[in-house]
Amino acid sequence: MAIIGKRLVNQVKTTGFKATVAQRADDVFQRMTTGLSWDDVRGILRGDPPPKPNPRVKPHTESFWFHIRPTFYHEATTTLYPTFRLGLLSALFFAIEIITGIYLMIFYTPSPERAYSSMIDILTNVPFGMFVRDLHRLGAEVMVVVVTLHMMRTFITGSYKKPRQFTWLTGVVLLMMTLGLSFSGYLLPWDQLAFWAVTIGTSMADAAPGVGPTVNLLLRGAPDIGAGGLLRFYLLHVVLLPFIGIVFLAVHYYKVVRWGLSLPPDMEAVGEDSARKVSPDKRVNFLPDIATNEIMYIAIAMAILAISCATWYRAPLETHSNPLVTPNHTVAPWYFYWLQGLLKIPHIIPFLPGDLANGLDKFSANVLGITPKVLWGIVVGPLVFVLLAVVPYIDPNPSRRYGQRKIMLTLGGLFTILILYLSLAGIPTGVPVTGFGFVGGAPPSEIGQEFMPDEGEGELMKIPFDQMIVGDYQVSADPGVADAPELNAIIKTLYYDMQHRMSTADPNGRKLSQDTVATVKIVEIQPDLKQITLDIKYTDDLTGAAQDFTKFKFIHKNSEH
Amino acid sequence: MSIIKKIVTFKPSFNLRVIVGLISVVGFLAACAITGFSDLTKALGEQDAKYTARAIEAGAKVYFDQCARCHGADGKGIEGQGPALSSVTFLGKKEGKIEVQKSQRLLDIQWVGNLDGYIRAVTASGIPLKSSNQWEVTHPAFGQAYGGNLRDDQINDVSTFILNWSQAPATAGIIDSPKPGAAFTPKATAVPLTPEQEAGKTAFLKNGCNACHAIKGVAQGNIGPNLSTFGTTAATRFTEADYKTSQGKAATADEYIHESIINPQAFVVAKCPQGACPSGVMPPTFGKTIAEGDLKNLVSYLASLK
Repeated sequence: MAIIGKRLVNQVKTTGFKATVAQRADDVFQRMTTGLSWDDVRGILRGDPPPKPNPRVKPHTESFWFHIRPTFYHEATTTLYPTFRLGLLSALFFAIEIITGIYLMIFYTPSPERAYSSMIDILTNVPFGMFVRDLHRLGAEVMVVVVTLHMMRTFITGSYKKPRQFTWLTGVVLLMMTLGLSFSGYLLPWDQLAFWAVTIGTSMADAAPGVGPTVNLLLRGAPDIGAGGLLRFYLLHVVLLPFIGIVFLAVHYYKVVRWGLSLPPDMEAVGEDSARKVSPDKRVNFLPDIATNEIMYIAIAMAILAISCATWYRAPLETHSNPLVTPNHTVAPWYFYWLQGLLKIPHIIPFLPGDLANGLDKFSANVLGITPKVLWGIVVGPLVFVLLAVVPYIDPNPSRRYGQRKIMLTLGGLFTILILYLSLAGIPTGVPVTGFGFVGGAPPSEIGQEFMPDEGEGELMKIPFDQMIVGDYQVSADPGVADAPELNAIIKTLYYDMQHRMSTADPNGRKLSQDTVATVKIVEIQPDLKQITLDIKYTDDLTGAAQDFTKFKFIHKNSEH
Repeated sequence: MSIIKKIVTFKPSFNLRVIVGLISVVGFLAACAITGFSDLTKALGEQDAKYTARAIEAGAKVYFDQCARCHGADGKGIEGQGPALSSVTFLGKKEGKIEVQKSQRLLDIQWVGNLDGYIRAVTASGIPLKSSNQWEVTHPAFGQAYGGNLRDDQINDVSTFILNWSQAPATAGIIDSPKPGAAFTPKATAVPLTPEQEAGKTAFLKNGCNACHAIKGVAQGNIGPNLSTFGTTAATRFTEADYKTSQGKAATADEYIHESIINPQAFVVAKCPQGACPSGVMPPTFGKTIAEGDLKNLVSYLASLK
């Protein structure tokens, strides 16, 4: 103490008080900025050109965060094209997921008894709880999109070619980690959506020949998803997959820096990689140009995400999971629709007659001893990732120029179209127009699904509570309910929907019988609680028997369906 | 093409980057601030109301599946089966948020906790003894931990649903919980069954009628109509307008009962324990599977239920 004091006193004596304070302050400042003086930082903030020699490269040698970033980029990679900043955004969303995820972990318990009530707690009792959950969920969905686009961009610009093959390979692992994280997180809310989407997903694994049941048992911890499965998915979601993700992200990023950002294909000679040979006049320094650029993109992405979550976006939460009740039209998460589509082969192949498709089914089941579901879902599904991973190693073409890669670009385009088609065919309503992949039931139950689904929103539940006037309403073109225009309108919609189903057959060739009579019945059960019943009397088009389809829902004034 | 090219090769100037970046940061902070402010003031309360409402909806579903058959769809209780849950005696009375009358049931049994706790405890673990000779059954244990089929969240939801009645508890025409130990005046003993009727009762059970129909003290089925007072109903049913417009051809009570067994589609009554009676559920084959003598005894037994 005394020594420091003595030095300080000496300094003040020799240089004066003001200069001493300035010098000491700058000292501290430079320690924080790893070598940049206040004037340098001010120049960066003002966008001034760097003085010579450039002091702004100093942090790159002195500090951790800057030393992992390149000192300069090639001018050609600083425009939107060719990177579109998709790699940066992927990393950003990964970071957002980690931060919001940690916040949610504080309030979440991974047990079937507590998980759903933790969710309710987060939504009703935790400040920023709903906001952070929305950020986490929307961020996850956007991350899948961004990561996929990032991969497509890399494919299109041919950036996976020598020397970046391994970067691409780690990228495919990161894609799988993204999907795995998204999927494992899907189960955690423990609602019907979570439970059944994951049941479907893991039952695909179950179907694999030989190892399937073992894999399934490892994932679920029991034959069915329960306490063990929830805990395992939680651990996958918060420990194992993020760990693998971070390791591969580090390697991926190291490779990116090691080889530099690939230049637009037409800027370098065929077979040559000149990303690291940047002539001084083409260099754009990281400080301040690249840094401010990146900060701008990060700020825009976060603003859009946060404003979305503060306004229109709400992460879904359905009713508590119930292993005994399977909601109609259960689907896997949207990024696995294509896998569901694969399971429907050969019934979704255009121009293939239905009989032939059935024949193929039987042939592969009886003669090859493997059902098409197993073949396509278990064998071919994972092969897609293997195929992606080996792309750089099997593509013999050294050129990155678009004009010289017509075959590969066409194959890539076809692959994208195929995945989109399979995704369409994978959803229960199937491909529009042709109806391939349609898995609907009898027409009345489809009406029930549309107007009063087991989970989620249906038309009949959108009637404002004060317009749910107690009574029995015959479904007709003009129900004529006084003072309830919305009720009237929705019953009318129901009527026209029925008329449509009477006149047009669904993709299974099923029509609603002409003698169908439907009623909507509204009963008050309790103060602020009504029961709405949809009753459809019809003649079954397959058996010719008179049938009665009834479905009901309870609607509370405040439940905001 | 040139527009696309302009966009993808666009390079924002330093000033533009700073301005757009700052605007975005302000937008981000504003979104956080607005969320935080609304969470502190009203949003959490609204969310709470929303999820309480959804709990009531889920509870209603459980109630109608499990509880309504004994406590009644309106919660007013069913004679011989279960006491009222929507009554002042059970729920107490509130004015606004202030309790002006305590639940008589909780006072009677000296329950220390609150009503929500009592409902959840009874729903989950049941009541091992009958409170009085008024009820035919004890309260079953519905909680999974006690061998029942309801999860904890379902029990919580059903309690939320029952407590929702306390906004406007019912006062009249109900069967309230009796005080513990209070003996009820035994009901007049029913007229003993004749040997034919006794044989009819055996036929009723032997042919599985009890799977779907309830008869007080005999069967607990809850799919088809309750037959506890079928004799009384049948005595007048064939004269009713509804019946006359149906395919039914009966002209006496016995004929009506006979027809209901061998041709159940002829006339389907409106109300069943779980709502509207579905047509086509009762098999039309009993005319063939029940022997002629048994059928006669069965009709005579059912006609005696008054």
